[in-house]
Amino acid sequence: MIGRALRQARALLSVRYAEMLEYRAELVLWMLAGSMPLILMGVWMKVAATRPLGLEPVDFARYFLVLFLVRQATVVWVIWEFQEKVLTGALSQRLLQPIDPVWNEVAKHVAERFARLPFVVVLVALFFALYPDARWVPHPWALLSGLLLTIAAFAVRFAIQYTLSMMAFWTERAGSLQSVWFHLYVLFSGMLAPLSMYPESVRTFAELTPFPYLVYVPVAATLDHPAFPVDVPRACAVMAAWGVAFVVLNRVLWRRGLRQYSGMGA
Amino acid sequence: MRRHRTPLLRLVGLFWSTSVAAEMEYRVDFVLAVLNSGFGLLTTIFGLSLVFGGGPSFAGWSWHQAMVVVGVFTILEGFTRAVLEPNLGQIVRHVQQGTLDFVLLKPVSAQLWLSTRGLSPWGFPDVVLGVGLTLWAALKSGAGAADLALAIVPLAAAVVTLYSLWFVLATTSIWFVKIYNVTQVLRTLVEAGRYPVSVYPFGHRMFFTFIVPVAFLTTVPAETLVGRGSWAWIAASVGLAALLALAARAFFRFALRFYTSASS
Amino acid sequence: MSAASDEVVVHVADLAKHYRVADKQPGVVGTLRHFVRRKHRIIEAVRGVSFDIARGEMVGFLGPNGAGKTTTLKMLTGLVHPTTGEATVSGFVPFRRHADFLRQITLVMGQKQQLVWDLPALDSLRINAAVYDVPKAEAEQRIGALAEMLSITDILTQPVRKLSLGQRMKAELLAALLHRPSVVFLDEPTLGLDVNAQTAVRAFLRDYNERYGATILLTSHYMADITALCERVLLVHDGRLVYDGDLAAMVARVAPHREVEVELEQPLPAEQLAALGEIERVDGCVVRWLVPHGALTRTVAQIMQTLPVRDLRVTDPPIEEIIGRVFAGPAPEARA
Repeated sequence: MIGRALRQARALLSVRYAEMLEYRAELVLWMLAGSMPLILMGVWMKVAATRPLGLEPVDFARYFLVLFLVRQATVVWVIWEFQEKVLTGALSQRLLQPIDPVWNEVAKHVAERFARLPFVVVLVALFFALYPDARWVPHPWALLSGLLLTIAAFAVRFAIQYTLSMMAFWTERAGSLQSVWFHLYVLFSGMLAPLSMYPESVRTFAELTPFPYLVYVPVAATLDHPAFPVDVPRACAVMAAWGVAFVVLNRVLWRRGLRQYSGMGA
Repeated sequence: MRRHRTPLLRLVGLFWSTSVAAEMEYRVDFVLAVLNSGFGLLTTIFGLSLVFGGGPSFAGWSWHQAMVVVGVFTILEGFTRAVLEPNLGQIVRHVQQGTLDFVLLKPVSAQLWLSTRGLSPWGFPDVVLGVGLTLWAALKSGAGAADLALAIVPLAAAVVTLYSLWFVLATTSIWFVKIYNVTQVLRTLVEAGRYPVSVYPFGHRMFFTFIVPVAFLTTVPAETLVGRGSWAWIAASVGLAALLALAARAFFRFALRFYTSASS
Repeated sequence: MSAASDEVVVHVADLAKHYRVADKQPGVVGTLRHFVRRKHRIIEAVRGVSFDIARGEMVGFLGPNGAGKTTTLKMLTGLVHPTTGEATVSGFVPFRRHADFLRQITLVMGQKQQLVWDLPALDSLRINAAVYDVPKAEAEQRIGALAEMLSITDILTQPVRKLSLGQRMKAELLAALLHRPSVVFLDEPTLGLDVNAQTAVRAFLRDYNERYGATILLTSHYMADITALCERVLLVHDGRLVYDGDLAAMVARVAPHREVEVELEQPLPAEQLAALGEIERVDGCVVRWLVPHGALTRTVAQIMQTLPVRDLRVTDPPIEEIIGRVFAGPAPEARA
């Protein structure tokens, strides 16, 4: 049973990795398409230089650099592929296989991380060469917890987006739903600015949503800076809860969606 | 030889009424598009309020003046969603599936066809919101009728510039068939236009003026709208637009020489 | 010809599928009206179909576009839930999509592909081997054998996008049959292929059926697929099964005529020709008669005796025409 799962995982990952390597040029573009944090980094470095915030420009440089990395590691696009598969009927091919279609998508995402990694490393090296002041060595524990929280953030984000993808069974373009969701993600995740800069009321509200856990929490854990407080064990518990909630919701919608899909003619 | 020619405008009108009809099939999408525009605007305004930090002005821009930038950005965003994305975003697909053949066989300018074939109504909420916000914020900043009239020039130039940039990038798919996301990179960089260009440090400013001319997309029209425009910048934005439009046209013709229609 | 036994593998009883589709008038007014209030219509794609297929049988599924062939195949493979009626395949209820069921069947859709576009087919085959629990050595051996049957051994290492349509279809067949399914459903497997590739695919399917005793149900637009592979055909029209049985018997029933085509030395008056039988067409020196089976010998003898014949040919009308004749009439049963 486990041996079978391992064998399937290995085959899926290695083939999907080979596929992603065929998209080398695209990987660079996808990486650059995620360069919003580097733009906002400029704004906040200028703000920090203009008025006292209790943070130096270099703190913002590090915050947005780590944010950039976390975003690179947690990119999810499953909704676009899933929607395409439902609309064109290509999902039928996957349904005929004795394995849940989600594993193909998971494998693509994981393989893509590894294919993208070299380009990200080059970009970061370039950044530190251009801006040596921003160099620092994070504490090993901070780095480890940041890495674990990033992986968790990816898992939760995937679970959420795959759940939204299920809407493709009912509306013809679940993609717009994702666009709305993305605005909320930008607004509440700490992408615009460190969450600690947000007004108290907005921050309290944001913490009730899954968004800060997808970006701000892994970033803050990696930086381990007094200005960016984070309670790692609690964050893990909250993320696990969000993850489980969305997986359950996902399975319910999946089952209903399949009935709907087959009703439309598969 | 006399031949019947459909007037250009009628052709575009026909294209657009059929694609709006196709898009209206998606009712839920309509609600979502409005939500999308609303949240997008809210996000920008909130981000800007964090940057202002409660102060009356930042980097030489008052709050209302900065809102003019946001308004212009929202208009361009609407233009992108309504016209650029449904048309230029499809060029890659045409090349991949070999359907560019059909376009090239039509007795209409291929560039016109590729640029106007579709129209997505889901960009309209952005345009409406953007125009409203721009007018309101410009009037609050003390803009007069003359400023509003003059601003049409850099605004039109911004639309042409944005279109030309998109078109050039979309045209590269004739060589790089697999590149879906090249226009996505442009969209990300254009996001920088949500804020006036002077909120960025020197390096960013140079990049967004001379390499990816985001400054000409939102900052120059906004400055004109609030009565701070300089003739030099307006002239530069018109010159840039004209240059890019010509370059885009020449580039497309050049690229077509390398078009090998897909084999299957 | 086929390796059929008595064991029933596919059982279908009174199977029906109804769809609800939105109905929209064209134009701006229709769009706006549709935007505000949607109208729906029920489409009865399949209206109560029953048949059984024995293990090892090769059955052709015929009918014009929209007759309900593809919907039926999708119900049998578990993609579509029937509105009413029952279907079992290898003892499973398809729509439960049990993993053991999925491992026993395959559905080849001529228009859709499962191979990863940018990679060689071998990579996709590796995924399929893992997904269907085919051990590595076994998978290699099967790939070798199937590739040889399809004569595509040397193209499996080329990216799929570089393959011709025919090669790609053969690779798709290989991928679909790697887990050696005992029930094979094919929806237009030869669509768009050139004649050589069509022949190769047919030969392969017959070979697969004989070697592994697989049950095959296929739809096709090309009659040659059906005549080459199937002794039994199911004819559907407008969601109903209008014929189930021997292909040859159907031809005899629907088209009890043969065509006699004669090339004359010189054109002759029509009355003289009509005296010999029902004329289908006169085209200068070439005359075609429709002759009932029973009268064939007599008529041919008469023609040879009384007319200046340069050449004579007796043929069955093309089967497309026969099928067309069945569907042209309102109620085929009434004619039988």
